[in-house]
Amino acid sequence: MRKALGLLLVVVLGLGVFGCSKPAGQATEGEKPAAPKYPEKPITFLVPFSAGGGSDIMARAIAGVMQKEGILPQPLVVENKPGGSGSIGYSYVAGKVGDPYIISTVSSSFWTTPLAGNSPVSYKDFTPVAALAMDPFLLMVKEDSPYKTLDDLIKAAKAKPEGLAVGGTSGLSDDRVCTALLEKQAGVKFNFVPFEGGGDAMTALLGGHVQLCWASPGEALNQLEAKKARPLAVSTEERLAKLPDVPTFKELGYDQVVFYQFRGIVAPKNIPEEALKVLEEAFKKLSESPAWEKEYLEPNMVTARYLPAKEFGDAIIKQNELYTQIFKDLGLLK
Amino acid sequence: METLRMLLSGFSVALQPANLLACLIGVVAGTLVGALPGLGPSTGVAVLLPLTFGMNPVTAIVMLAGIYYGAMYGGAIASILINTPGDAAAVMTCLDGYPLAQKGQAGAALGMASFSSFIGGTISVVIFTFLAPALAQATLWFGPPEYFALMVMGLSTVSGLTGKSPFKGIASMLIGLALSCVGTDLVTGLPRFCFGRPELYSGVEFITVALGLFGIAELISLAASETPQLRRTEVRLNFRNLLPNREDWAASWPHILRGTGIGFFIGMLPGAGGTIASFISYSAAKRLSRHPEKFGEGAIEGVAAPESANNAASVGAFVPLLALGVPGSATTAVLMGALMMYNLRPGPLIFERNPQFVWGLVSSMYVGNVMLMLLVLLFIPLFVRVLDIPTHTLVGWVIAFILAGSFGLNNSLFDAGMTVAFGFLGYLMKRLEYPAAPLVLALVLGNMMENSLRQSLLLSHGSLAIFFTRPLSLVILLIAAAAVLVPVVRSLTRAKPALQQ
Repeated sequence: MRKALGLLLVVVLGLGVFGCSKPAGQATEGEKPAAPKYPEKPITFLVPFSAGGGSDIMARAIAGVMQKEGILPQPLVVENKPGGSGSIGYSYVAGKVGDPYIISTVSSSFWTTPLAGNSPVSYKDFTPVAALAMDPFLLMVKEDSPYKTLDDLIKAAKAKPEGLAVGGTSGLSDDRVCTALLEKQAGVKFNFVPFEGGGDAMTALLGGHVQLCWASPGEALNQLEAKKARPLAVSTEERLAKLPDVPTFKELGYDQVVFYQFRGIVAPKNIPEEALKVLEEAFKKLSESPAWEKEYLEPNMVTARYLPAKEFGDAIIKQNELYTQIFKDLGLLK
Repeated sequence: METLRMLLSGFSVALQPANLLACLIGVVAGTLVGALPGLGPSTGVAVLLPLTFGMNPVTAIVMLAGIYYGAMYGGAIASILINTPGDAAAVMTCLDGYPLAQKGQAGAALGMASFSSFIGGTISVVIFTFLAPALAQATLWFGPPEYFALMVMGLSTVSGLTGKSPFKGIASMLIGLALSCVGTDLVTGLPRFCFGRPELYSGVEFITVALGLFGIAELISLAASETPQLRRTEVRLNFRNLLPNREDWAASWPHILRGTGIGFFIGMLPGAGGTIASFISYSAAKRLSRHPEKFGEGAIEGVAAPESANNAASVGAFVPLLALGVPGSATTAVLMGALMMYNLRPGPLIFERNPQFVWGLVSSMYVGNVMLMLLVLLFIPLFVRVLDIPTHTLVGWVIAFILAGSFGLNNSLFDAGMTVAFGFLGYLMKRLEYPAAPLVLALVLGNMMENSLRQSLLLSHGSLAIFFTRPLSLVILLIAAAAVLVPVVRSLTRAKPALQQ
């Protein structure tokens, strides 16, 4: 009885979707008229972290803009499954092989948690959908710091190996990667002091307990305008539009210090080709919409960087190699 | 007075009908998420955040802030009525709140919780109004060594939490410290003592433990007792008798004021927050009370001290957020995200650039605290009737609440299982008269203590001198030493004449 009801529901829903879709949409499906058009039900948007974090903010913004702009006929339903530095949520999504009704966010834990150890899944267990944004990193000093430029800093660091303390996020973190990249190319050694969050590291910098710290563009701009701390350089290829006076490491001669955190979308492995296409197209539209710019990129000071599925896939592999190499060099991984 | 003028203009913002309504919605929602175990203020704010899109920014933040401090009021309700902390900051309220409820004084306990929250909250808003930027500078003096010293001081208060036997208290504390070692290592980022369970990577969740040790353990001992019945009010009390009486007030005043100071100060320090503030306030109250033996048996000041502190801490947490642009807790981090979404960038400049916003928010906190106090007082008779539910029915409901709350933290059955396991441990500890509070305290402080110890030693390249050469850290450590040694010395000098006779 229940099965019959469910079947009826699917048929009714399917009819509903067909009824609403444009004639052009029907024409393309001429070969398989029985298959309902994807998506025919709401898509779960799983965030492997708790509500309120960076990934959650992005997911909720995406769901909001998609709905408002009518990009997908069905809503994205944000669900948090935090724990295990992302591995619990990612394992859950990876387990839904072939199911196009669940997608997830990508941030640095997508790579670093599997590298750290016990996560049963890795980037290989997902279908890349799209990259949307990147978070670059800025090296900050306190406003009254004697180091006016990166050069001053590197000179001081050379004179005093491990004498300058850098505050950054703990564990296998992006801040540590940036520190390592700079140390390697400049031939210096800093004293990396891990903090639980970026805010804690910034407080330690403002209090003078550490001499340097890594910050996101939003944090950097805040402190710069308040004249409390200054960025010395940024880890992007080109200068940031919002912070045009901050040089890149690259232009200062450290071309290896180009690094950012990708923010993107993945789905489980082996989802139907058509579904992937619909999703890819939807995220492309999202990335081009002014509402996305206004509601997510701008307030969060995130740099837009759209990549389609194929290129995002290549970037994921490259990013993984980079992380592996750096953590091995640091002796954090064997 | 420039500040007063700004504050008045702030009130003109806060008292606009839309903002009043937003404030009311916020504090009601906050009371609810606070009262329900597992749902904390940070989740409440994050989930309700999308609802505020399209609102005027002041209105939105007034509502979200209301959820935050409203949760501090709500947390006490479940603690007092069913010995189940509604959120982390309400754990200490169980210790005396629940015994009071068992004695038939649930109304007085709830009333005192509400009044002391109000007083703590309001005094803190006043301090905030006049001193926020200056105080924000002071929080910067606290580097890793000072945090370590502060955590040591926090642990030194354990002696105030122990029952009859100090050794049992210390044993309980050591279990807590051991549990705090579980989770991802701060420096290497690799899991420790996780036994391959990803659920343990972020450590043993404090609230799952507290729900088990307090809530479930109580239900087991209730079921195991020969007369499984919650003691409840025998006489129908009228509204006036439900409120704290003059004696209650006389006993509680100094503790409320001290709790407010402790709470505001600790709340300002990033990472510490309401939970630690309520622990320290409770222990200090017990230590400095003339009747320390009454604590844990249903002393009204044992409710007043932690409740004033956690509310004061929730206001204190706005100091670093607004004045430094650095969020100090999970909830203020979510609020910071919300501010950014409205193009309000927190930091010292926000006071100059968006005075309407800042002062509107501050004034709404005055208004919100009044609303919360009236709200809770009005509903006390209703809340107290929870205790009239027959025990066999209530126990089922409470178990359902606790397990749903513990599951809801991370949507994880593993956490619910942990709560049950800690429930049995809690029952065992109760039978053997090991106090549960030191375990919970050590679990909260242990993690921060380890992190700040390791950060300090990295900064000093391994030298322990860093703790003694920095004046602030030295002073705090001396206070901690005094807190441990003074009672010992006192009891020794007192014991001597007795021996001589």
